[in-house]
Amino acid sequence: MKPSEQTMPGDNNRISNFFIFQAWLVLLLASFFGASLAGIQLTLSPKIEANKLNETLEKVPELIFGAEAAQSFAEENRQMDIERQYIKAGNKIYSVFQAKTDDQTSGWVVKSSGQGYADKIELLVGVDAKAETISGLFILDQKETPGLGNKIMEQAWRNQFNNKSTQQPMTAVKTKASAPNEINAITGATISSKAVCGIVNQSLNNLRQPLAKALLNDQNPSDNQPNNHQEKK
Amino acid sequence: MSDTTQQNQPLQDESSEVPVIQVGHSPHLSNESFTTRRMMIDVLIALLPVVGMSVYIFQMYAVKQMAICLVTCLAAEAAFIKMRNRSFSLTDCSAAVTGIILGLSLPATAPWYVGVIASVVAIGIGKVIFGGLGMNLFNPAMVGRAFVMIAFAGVMAASGYESLNTGIDAITQATPLNAFKQMGISTSLTDLFFGLTNGSPGETSALACLIGGIYLCIRRTASWEIPAGIIAVVLIMGGLADIMGSASNWTVLHHLFSGSLLFGAFFIATDPVSSPLTAKGKFIFGAGIGFFIMVLRFFSGYPEGVMFAVLFMNALTPLLNRWTIPAAMGE
Amino acid sequence: MADQPTAFERFTQGILPENPVYRQLLGLCPVLAVTNSMQGAMTMAGAVLFVLLCANVIISLIRDLLKPHLRIVIFTLTIATFVTIVDRFLAAYMYQMSKSLGPYIPLIIVNCIIICRCEVCASKQSVITAASDAVGQSLGFALALASIASVREILGTGMFFGFRVLPEMWPDWVIMVLPPGAFLTFGLLLGAVNWIVAMKKAKD
Repeated sequence: MKPSEQTMPGDNNRISNFFIFQAWLVLLLASFFGASLAGIQLTLSPKIEANKLNETLEKVPELIFGAEAAQSFAEENRQMDIERQYIKAGNKIYSVFQAKTDDQTSGWVVKSSGQGYADKIELLVGVDAKAETISGLFILDQKETPGLGNKIMEQAWRNQFNNKSTQQPMTAVKTKASAPNEINAITGATISSKAVCGIVNQSLNNLRQPLAKALLNDQNPSDNQPNNHQEKK
Repeated sequence: MSDTTQQNQPLQDESSEVPVIQVGHSPHLSNESFTTRRMMIDVLIALLPVVGMSVYIFQMYAVKQMAICLVTCLAAEAAFIKMRNRSFSLTDCSAAVTGIILGLSLPATAPWYVGVIASVVAIGIGKVIFGGLGMNLFNPAMVGRAFVMIAFAGVMAASGYESLNTGIDAITQATPLNAFKQMGISTSLTDLFFGLTNGSPGETSALACLIGGIYLCIRRTASWEIPAGIIAVVLIMGGLADIMGSASNWTVLHHLFSGSLLFGAFFIATDPVSSPLTAKGKFIFGAGIGFFIMVLRFFSGYPEGVMFAVLFMNALTPLLNRWTIPAAMGE
Repeated sequence: MADQPTAFERFTQGILPENPVYRQLLGLCPVLAVTNSMQGAMTMAGAVLFVLLCANVIISLIRDLLKPHLRIVIFTLTIATFVTIVDRFLAAYMYQMSKSLGPYIPLIIVNCIIICRCEVCASKQSVITAASDAVGQSLGFALALASIASVREILGTGMFFGFRVLPEMWPDWVIMVLPPGAFLTFGLLLGAVNWIVAMKKAKD
């Protein structure tokens, strides 16, 4: 029946009636489904956002004070304020978490990402208040080869980054690491190891100065200029 | 079977029989002695220098790995033949060849289960599933090797050799290609040529591979077009890289003699089942392998690319066969 | 309507005789993609059960109002709605799982099993039949996912549902956790199922 309807283009009125008549169920369902989806999105989105943020926030104490100190920290029930900022540096916008204890900045955690061997690697780097040494590294998301590249997740490997200076770029070496800025590459996964070093180097290189500046601004609130790049959240 | 029949349908007349493709021009000589068994024994003879060299360099490691692969391949072949209710056909020696090539291409120090699993996969998934010898799309030994390469990347990587104490230095080094890829260290050409380096037992000695390979080509068991294609393309691409100066201390000859290039060119790529039938097709097949080896060596995370290059070109073999059908007389 | 299968027949057929994965070869994308661990596979099976059940019930309720040429639009609309609901719920309450399943939850929208059941059963039969069909097909799907996931997880990691079942010295077959392992396992299992079916037929 449809072709015969379509061959009568002159009769506009009839066609419009015809399509509304045909499509009323689709339209009704679409508005009903759309409304219910909007409701679900409204109720669940704060929770989903919180999940995404918590994933990072949970790691902040550990990345700044180390696992053991963070544990005792939690047991003593001391308060830690974590403030999220966005800092634009080197044509990238970084998510930076400022950790404060007793109104003193105790460190920063930078969220960064870059290309790994298989896919994007997303990681968190913790640095001390002056952004001079690395205090911790955590891999949030990676899809490297199981058994080889995904060893970047292992604590023993990540701990190599602790207490490294942010002044010199890290290099992953295949032989035993000797120089202070060298990291032992995972055997059979040199590319993944180098990728992690590269991401850390790039983000620290971009953020070292902005973070130190932000710390100064914090300490001298009198000459604190309104900062365009910071947006409290 | 039905698939192959359909594929070949346009190539032939309206006869309803299972098509027999004859690609050569007449006259078609049939040589009684030119059987699968004779070819396979030829391959085994040609492998002798390689086997000898690998036993000389890697000693018990090489013997153990080859024995494991050989025994498992024969056992797997026997078991699968029995499952399919076919007559017992180990005498065609094809399983033995697969086993020896596999044993030579796996790192000698890889644990025993690597050899066993590789052999079972090679015979089972590489050959029997496709319908047995002659029907397999891919080189069985390379299927087995690819499987364990991905499954046990940790023990298959060069790192698997480290911290082993043998009398010979070779085993404790990184393989030449790995050493170059990761640290930029070049190995001397004479060491590469005679095989005094680390690597899978079969691949280290360029000399042994050349001797065996040339024997195979003279006996016509292997078609010379395939290794010629591979070597020609490697020479061209390596030469271009030399001229552009991208790898100053790793010359085109290093490319030729290192890794499993010559072993792959003469013994793996020339597998008559999984390579094209026509001379032109064989040359294109070889050139394609050479091209992918160099692309993988230059740009991929793996130091060596022979295995993946061979498997990739294996997949293109049916296509090459179709492209290169010679015109019939008088057309 | 007389020759349509009953609710009970629909239910039992979905599990084995018309198993969506092994007999109909439908919905293979998640079958290959999420079966490297039992937890992921079972979450996927649960999500499919929810979507299929809801979609089948809704379609069955409005089956007399459907216009033949607009039915696919309505199927897709319904399925997409419920898939979005599942996706949001997972992100809110099972965040890690939702991250590891990645795009494969939203991809249920284009899973042929669901649109096929809407077309074959829900748009023609009563609500009860449609619901039991949905449950049967989902169980069949879950069974297929479990069979592949258990092989892959045990061989690939030595674990089952995240618990170690093979000794520590077990060398992990990393390939089984990677995409090639999915194709190999599914191919071999499919071959085995076909072989069993052929043997059964030969016996009858």
